[in-house]
Amino acid sequence: MPWKDRYTISDEKSLADGDIRWPDGRRCAIHIVVDLSIASGPEGILTRDIESPAAEFGTHEGLDLVLATLEKNKLKATFAVPAVTAQMYPAKIKGLIERGHEVATHGLRHEDVSLLRREEEKARIDRATQMLTEVTGRKPVGWFSLPRQTDPFAGGTISSNTMDLLIEAGYVYMGNGLADDIPHYWVSDFASRRAILALPYYYHFDDQFFCMFPVAGTGLENSDMLLRNWRAELDAQYRRNRFFTMTLHPQHIGWCNRMAVLEEFLSYLTRLPDLWNPTGAQCAHYWLDTYPAATHLKLQASIWQDYPGSLS
Amino acid sequence: MTDSLNLDELKAAAQRYSGRHQRIGKLVWPNGARIAVNFTADFDAMLLRRLNNEPPMQLAKGEFGGRVGIWRLIELFDQHRIKATIFTVGRICELYPQALKAAVNSGHELADHMWEHRVPKEPELELDHLRKTAAALEKVSGRRPLGSRSHHTPTLLRSEGYIYNSHGSPSHLPHYVMDSKGAPCILELPFHYAIDDAMYFSFAWYASPNAAQRLSDTDRVFDLWWAAFIQQYQQGGYLNVCLHPFVSGRALRVAMLDRLIARMKTLPGVWFATCEEVARHCLEQHPPNRFSPPVSF
Repeated sequence: MPWKDRYTISDEKSLADGDIRWPDGRRCAIHIVVDLSIASGPEGILTRDIESPAAEFGTHEGLDLVLATLEKNKLKATFAVPAVTAQMYPAKIKGLIERGHEVATHGLRHEDVSLLRREEEKARIDRATQMLTEVTGRKPVGWFSLPRQTDPFAGGTISSNTMDLLIEAGYVYMGNGLADDIPHYWVSDFASRRAILALPYYYHFDDQFFCMFPVAGTGLENSDMLLRNWRAELDAQYRRNRFFTMTLHPQHIGWCNRMAVLEEFLSYLTRLPDLWNPTGAQCAHYWLDTYPAATHLKLQASIWQDYPGSLS
Repeated sequence: MTDSLNLDELKAAAQRYSGRHQRIGKLVWPNGARIAVNFTADFDAMLLRRLNNEPPMQLAKGEFGGRVGIWRLIELFDQHRIKATIFTVGRICELYPQALKAAVNSGHELADHMWEHRVPKEPELELDHLRKTAAALEKVSGRRPLGSRSHHTPTLLRSEGYIYNSHGSPSHLPHYVMDSKGAPCILELPFHYAIDDAMYFSFAWYASPNAAQRLSDTDRVFDLWWAAFIQQYQQGGYLNVCLHPFVSGRALRVAMLDRLIARMKTLPGVWFATCEEVARHCLEQHPPNRFSPPVSF
């Protein structure tokens, strides 16, 4: 595409519906992400977050309920786990892998890295990777920077170096990209075509924004809207042969009426024939093999011109 | 007491403001149509986010509109044989030329949506931006844009050859905006935020925090927009549906629009047109009075 640094992260046009193939002729990929962060602010998980009813519920009852529902519906998920969380509950986190789920890194403590110097961010990525590896016995292949409820924006916070550092650290995919609704390449350097695979994320399919206690604004309880959004997107993406993703937080979705919403949705989902339900790593490996960047990332030099009085 | 109300000043302001708008007496649509419907797409992708210095994930969210959303909207309109108007930020021509060419090849109208989603305060720079956008759009489409969705100065739009703007909502119906001397200046094709996808589905509208989001779902918006359509249909009116490719290009919303258009088509006399077509009809069949009649209360 006409590449433009600091404007675009990928090529000009997404893959068309008809060009997408899933393994064994499946019709739609289903990626379920469970976010195990309970961070309430940009500093990431702090003691006061741990000493909260939401954390207690999310880590124990809520998580158990979500796991049981996934199991009942024979679904696998990717768990986005902050490194400190993995170290606090090693048996629980190891147990997720034993059940066939994937554990991916969700920062050192799910902190905002957007203003960090490159070396500092690199050190944190390396430390988080090592802490998670210690618990699970295997190196994580996926990284997440999911948003917190209190963030100014609902896309997740990264720095201008994050993607490059994740490539350096050997990560295979980044779990929350917003530029597409199928896996896509996030280019960190145009000249060298350096890129990491991003899996789609969208806040309209993330429970945390529909289940907010209204500190301000119009949050309130909107799990009915969440259900309608999930269903509408699943139906539409299924017809297009594309990709569906949802993001769950046990402390939010595990609660009473919301658990019923999740149950209802998953039983609807599992009735659709020919779904493919990979973990993030399975999906990323399949995509990298089938649609490698070398042949499928179509970058063209910028035709952007700088003018006085205009943005550069 | 009465003096402190500044009644005279308020009256004068009301008169002045009303005097800037000239309504069309009895608006009649061509071929006996009961309603004119303009589907419009504001194509800015990540440019407004970039202009506002928003963080990388916000830009990526906007990029969806260029990679995916615009293509889906073109496909949707083409399937329904509807010609739409794409209000295009000038610099989008340097980022998404393929999509814009595809839109033109399908017969959709390209119109101005500012050079970089802002109107400079400096008059020379405003003119410069307006001309840059017109040149960029003309290069893609082979013709000069005739419409705008912007705060650009109405007299400037007119002197640059624009015939309509689609920006405000002082009336349900197309009407004329007058210049400072009370002469008709430009046709306004009203759009309202209640019929704007971003108000329902886009988080962080002008940096509003997550807890303040106006959450909604496609079933609800389908009902609201259908109600707007039918209310106008019953009185021979007008509807301008404002979409953003990064918002409405999401699969669930394209499916909702598909249902909405299909339902609109079940009624007779729905004129789906480009903004240019509606503007030309108004200008030819309902030209403005040279001078506004005096406003009386």
